[in-house]
Amino acid sequence: MWPRMIEPVEHAASIQSDALMTSGEAPNVTAVANPVIRTDSLDLGFGSTMILEDINLEFPRGSITALIGPSGSGKTTFLRSLNRMNDKVRGYKRAGEVKLDGTSIWDSQVDLLQLRRRVGMLFQRPNPFPMSIRENVLVGVKAHKLARKSDFDQITETLLKEVGLWKAVSDRLNDSPFRLSGGQQQLLCLARALAVRPEVLLLDEPTSALDPFSIELVESLIARLAPAVTFVVVTHNLAQAKRLSHNTAFFFQGRLMEYGLTTQIFANPQQPDTQRYVSGAMG
Amino acid sequence: MSGLLRQFVNGIKMNSIVLPESGDGLSRTVLRPKKRRGISIHGLKVVSSMASVIPFLALIVVLLVLLSEALPAIKVNGWSFLTSTNWRPGGTYALPVKTAGVLHPQGSSFGVWPLIVGTIESSAIAIVIAVPVSIGAALIVVKKLPPFWSKGIGFFLETLAGIPSVVYGLWGTLTLGPILSRDFYPLIANHLPNAFPFRFFRGDVGHGEGLLTSGMVLAVMIIPIIAATARDLIRQVPSLTEEGGTALGMTDWESTRKIVLPWVSTGIVGASVLGLARALGETMAVAMISGSILGATPTNVYSTFSTIAASIVTQLDSALSDGTGFYVKTLAEAGLVLMLITLLTNIGARVLVKRVATTALPVGRGV
Repeated sequence: MWPRMIEPVEHAASIQSDALMTSGEAPNVTAVANPVIRTDSLDLGFGSTMILEDINLEFPRGSITALIGPSGSGKTTFLRSLNRMNDKVRGYKRAGEVKLDGTSIWDSQVDLLQLRRRVGMLFQRPNPFPMSIRENVLVGVKAHKLARKSDFDQITETLLKEVGLWKAVSDRLNDSPFRLSGGQQQLLCLARALAVRPEVLLLDEPTSALDPFSIELVESLIARLAPAVTFVVVTHNLAQAKRLSHNTAFFFQGRLMEYGLTTQIFANPQQPDTQRYVSGAMG
Repeated sequence: MSGLLRQFVNGIKMNSIVLPESGDGLSRTVLRPKKRRGISIHGLKVVSSMASVIPFLALIVVLLVLLSEALPAIKVNGWSFLTSTNWRPGGTYALPVKTAGVLHPQGSSFGVWPLIVGTIESSAIAIVIAVPVSIGAALIVVKKLPPFWSKGIGFFLETLAGIPSVVYGLWGTLTLGPILSRDFYPLIANHLPNAFPFRFFRGDVGHGEGLLTSGMVLAVMIIPIIAATARDLIRQVPSLTEEGGTALGMTDWESTRKIVLPWVSTGIVGASVLGLARALGETMAVAMISGSILGATPTNVYSTFSTIAASIVTQLDSALSDGTGFYVKTLAEAGLVLMLITLLTNIGARVLVKRVATTALPVGRGV
C-alpha cells in the first residue's frame, strides 16, 4: 500500500505564531523554531553581474512563503538556487550557504538527485512530459525507485485524486497530457512533483499562465498540502501572496528588503520600498 | 486557365480601386493602399497555387515518361523481371527477335531481383549505422559541447553534406575499402560464430569493394542529413520541459531518454527517411564501391553487388549500343522499380510517423 503522502504534522499556523519575530533594525534576521531551509549570507550572480547579495532567510517547516518583488529583483534566481537548478547555468556563481535541515546543499556528501527529490519544483507554465498522463505521474517514482510496479496503479490514482484530476482523466490515463487544459496540465505537473514525496516545493509563479478558476484550484491545493510540504512561492500577484502565504519576503534591487508575517508585511511594512510595492505605488 | 487569369487581373484592379470602408473618413486617406502594392490576396493565391502545382506535375511527368519508355520492356520481361537473377543483354551480333511485338536481342533475359536486394541491403546497413551515430552526435553537440566546438562540428557537418558523391566513391574504393578488407574485415569474419545473424559476416572478405564498405560510405553520406536535422530538433525541445525532468531528480540520461528523444522522435523518423531516400537513390559512390555485380545476390556482407541506381549508370553505355533499344528500355523499367521502392519507403515512413505521433507528440504541440 502506498503510504499516505500527507502525514499530519503540526499545522503551520501554530508555527507561524512563534516562527517569525522580525527585529526592528535588521530585517533579515529572523528566528525560526524549526527551519527546513535556511540561507546564510547567500550571494548569487551570473558572470560579472551580481543578482543577489547577502540573503539570509529561513523557511519554517510546513509554511507557505511568498517571494515578492519587481521583475529582475532576483526572486527566481534565488528560488532556483534552493535545489541547485542554476548549477549548470553558464557563469553562475555563488557565495554563502543554503542549508537543508542544517546540511549545506553543496556539501560533497549531498546526493544531487536526492536533493531534488526532497526539494521539488513547479514552473511558470505547465511542462508535462511527452508520455501518457499515467507515466507523467509515475516518472519520478520510477526514476527514484520509490515503489514497486504492483503499486503503480494505486499511486497514480492516489495522486490524481490528491490534485483533483482523477475524475477528469481516470478514463484516459494512457492519453497524451497535451490534450488537457492548461490548468489541468499544471495540476498534473503538481501531481508529478508530489509523487516523489518532496519535503519542500519551490513554485515559480505557478499560476501566472492559468485562468482564475484553475488558480483557485491550485491555491487551495497548496493551502491543503502546506502542513506536510513546505512551499516557497515566487509570485507577482500580490493578492495571491496575501491570501495564500504565511510569510512574505520582499526582494528589491538584489536585496532582501523585508521578511516577516504576511499580515505584517502587507498591513504594516517597515521599509518605505515595501510600503510602496505592496500598496501598488511601485510597478 | 483564362478564368484564373481574369481573377488574377481583377484582383489587381480591385485593390487599387477599393478603399477601406471606414465610418470616420479619416482612415480613408491613411489606409489607402499604394498602387504599386497592387497584387491582391487573390493574385497571391493564384500565383502560389500555380507554384504548388509544379512539383506535382513534375512527378507525374517523370512517371509518365518513365512508364512509356519502359512499357515495351515490361511487356517482354513480365513479372519474372522482379524475381529473376538473370542479367543477359543477349547476342549483339545475332539477328534480333520479336516477343509480344517488341524487338529485342536474341537470348536477352533480365531480372532485377539482385539489384533490389543490393539496394535495400546497402541502404539498410547505412541507416543502421547512421541513425544512432547522428542522434548521438546531435545530443553531444547540443547538450555537452561548449558553443565553440558545437559551432565547429556544425560547420563540419555542413561541409560533409556538400562533398560530391564521386569524391566519396573515390575515397571508398581507393582508401577505406582496401584498409577495411585488409585489417578489419578478417577480424570480424574469422571470429564470429557460425550462427544465424553472424553467418553473413563470415566468409570471403574480398578486396574492399562490396556491400559493407558501400553501406559505410553511404552512412557517412547521410549522417549530415540526419544529424543536422536531429540537432535542430533537439535545440527546439522547450528548456522548461527538460528542466522539469532535472527538477524531479532525473539524471541527464534519464531526461534525454524519457523527455528529449520522445519529443523529437517524429522529426527524427522524418530525417531518417530523407537519409534513406538518399541512400536508396545514391548512384555514383555505390557504382564505384559496389563491385558492379549484376546477376547474383550477395552471399555475405563483403560480397560485391550492385544497386538499381548504380547499375543504370554503369550499364547505360553498353545499353546504348543495343541496336534494338531494348536494353535502354529495360534500364527505364529498373528505374521505375527504384521509384516504386522509394515511394513505398515514404508511405511506410508516414505510417510510422503517424503511429509514433499518437503515443508521443509532434514537435511544437503542447503549451
